[in-house]
Amino acid sequence: MEILDPTTEAVTQTIAWAARPTSLQGKRVALIDNTKFNSDNLLVRIGNILKQEHGVAECRMFRKHNASVPAHPEIVAEMEQWADLVVAGIGD
Amino acid sequence: MAATLTSKRLSVRDEADAIEMAYDKGWSDGLPVVPPTEARVRTMLEGARLEANHQVGIIRDRAVVISAEKVAINAVMAGCKPEYFPVVVAAVEAIADHRFNYHGPGTSTGGAGVLMIVNGPIARRLDINAGDNLFGPGWRSNLTIGRAVRLVMRNVCGSRPGLLDRGTLGHPGKLSYVIAENEAESPWTPLHVERGFRPEQSAVTVIASDAPHQFYNQLSNTAEGVLTTAADDMRISGNVMGQSTYVVVLAGEHMRTIAAAGWDKKRIRQFLFDKTHNSYVHLKRTGRMSGDLAAGDETRMRPLTELENILVVAAGGRAGAFSCYIPGWGSAKNSAAVTKEIK
Repeated sequence: MEILDPTTEAVTQTIAWAARPTSLQGKRVALIDNTKFNSDNLLVRIGNILKQEHGVAECRMFRKHNASVPAHPEIVAEMEQWADLVVAGIGD
Repeated sequence: MAATLTSKRLSVRDEADAIEMAYDKGWSDGLPVVPPTEARVRTMLEGARLEANHQVGIIRDRAVVISAEKVAINAVMAGCKPEYFPVVVAAVEAIADHRFNYHGPGTSTGGAGVLMIVNGPIARRLDINAGDNLFGPGWRSNLTIGRAVRLVMRNVCGSRPGLLDRGTLGHPGKLSYVIAENEAESPWTPLHVERGFRPEQSAVTVIASDAPHQFYNQLSNTAEGVLTTAADDMRISGNVMGQSTYVVVLAGEHMRTIAAAGWDKKRIRQFLFDKTHNSYVHLKRTGRMSGDLAAGDETRMRPLTELENILVVAAGGRAGAFSCYIPGWGSAKNSAAVTKEIK
């Protein structure tokens, strides 16, 4: 007998990765605050380390609407214009 | 002409082999499944008069398109009868609605189940339980409809425990979590009518939810008495900082006591809203709110949730002075209750 596969079959797609910077010197870094408690404090610390120890020129915080949704198009567009790098992925 | 089924086909020796294969491939929730043969899947699709390639929903954050074919395969595996299929389809439409925000409750450490409340004539026709052992065992429709939706979440949307379903605790409702409102005995406006549907329409409301929290009050013969107990339990529940949806399920004895006082759902909702505020001092002292105690914290109050996010449902056995409330996942802004017509 035959049975049918209940899962989503992955469709192959190509993702164009942005080129990785070879150095952080003089770069502008966007920090995505996902609104979880203390995530902003953690990101400020990360930003300071990037500036003090890695020569990053400037860090700026971008705040999502809430933790369980993707970053909204307005801040994505702004980050695209302004930033060389983005720090995302704060969890619990 | 029925559309071709496009899912990958796998050969197995017999039904027992198919059940084991479902375990091996990680398709099961832990219980044996009904092997999804083409004939069974086609009969399931006919139950909702849907073509296999019909698009039931899209989970944008996961880049997943949910086809009727995949929903039908999972409904077969769950043990649904074909006549249950329209309920499963409507519930999947609801969890794919952007207001439900699938990726949040489908992934979160909060471990939400999907509570499904069925209203309208289909609930009686399919014998969806609204009485004794409301959340418990014994009713094929309740158990298999919810199981089908969870299998769709697992197999189609990628919510596999330990991978993209990161629930810290989860709860038994994540196997199946389906109830009907007891419209036959309820004195109140049914939930779906409150949410914009006509009484003769059938609808399912989905809410990303914790497990049911039961409360007991055998002393009071007044609406205030019963609901004061409910409010006292609710205001210390897990989501007091979350401003989530709350479902309040009032079973037979409590329903009759409250109805005898002439209270409608609106008044119940208002009473619970008024009585479930927490003081800042309580929230800070119990580790729920950050910051040192400040002057005025004794009288500064925070509501448990918003008035319109308290959903009142009449359901549960006739005997016993028990009812329950069910806190929603996270906050209602992150995941809202969604109601869809069952067609």
